[in-house]
Amino acid sequence: MKLVAFVSDYRMSVDTLDRLKPEKLGIILVQNGVYHATTKENGNPSSLLNYSADYFVLQEDLETRGYTSSDVDGKVKVISLGDVVDLIFNDYEKTAWL
Amino acid sequence: MATTKLGFVVQRPPYKSENPKLALTHAIASQSVEIYLEDGDLVTADIAFVGDGVLNCKKDQKALETYGLSSTESHIKMSLLLDLNVLVCKEDLEKFGMTENDIVIDAEEFGAEVEVKVVPFDEISKMMEEMNHLLFF
Repeated sequence: MKLVAFVSDYRMSVDTLDRLKPEKLGIILVQNGVYHATTKENGNPSSLLNYSADYFVLQEDLETRGYTSSDVDGKVKVISLGDVVDLIFNDYEKTAWL
Repeated sequence: MATTKLGFVVQRPPYKSENPKLALTHAIASQSVEIYLEDGDLVTADIAFVGDGVLNCKKDQKALETYGLSSTESHIKMSLLLDLNVLVCKEDLEKFGMTENDIVIDAEEFGAEVEVKVVPFDEISKMMEEMNHLLFF
């Protein structure tokens, strides 16, 4: 299964991502999920970036919160809403909203 | 003559919910209740950003351009225009690797004379002790 998961919170109280074992995993950081891509706590990047996954962050939600592409962790690709649609239709079979 | 002191403590990051912005709109609105008060009575509002709430203070927010929303940054500036006491927790800011350069500090463009104060949590704690009512967002 090729799964893309939307992460919309900075503090996550569930471990769903640990339990999912898709053959291909994409993680799209949206809304307050963008802080996983921009924010280091005590110098450490978010542990959410430790999965074997392709990471994306929504540009509109980054800019809304005062960040730019230059603030984003190197693992994460900045994408537009149009790119999100392309990913859903072309690269992944299922979506999940966490 | 009495002064009622309101303290608004913002602990959550912005935008996912309206919650943090409500702290600011409530604090701003508290300054328009004069018509309901006796002569000489006052309502003051202090706002403190702690924990993940300090992320509300990031400058250069583009909420209006991207989603047509007034930004949390602009609400903070409106608070400064009304001379509200706006505090940001120094320790929590440093935890995120942020400095005063990363956050909104003043609202000179609107003519505000007061600035956001980055202070140790002890000072925020002291402010909370002085308040008559504390509201957490």
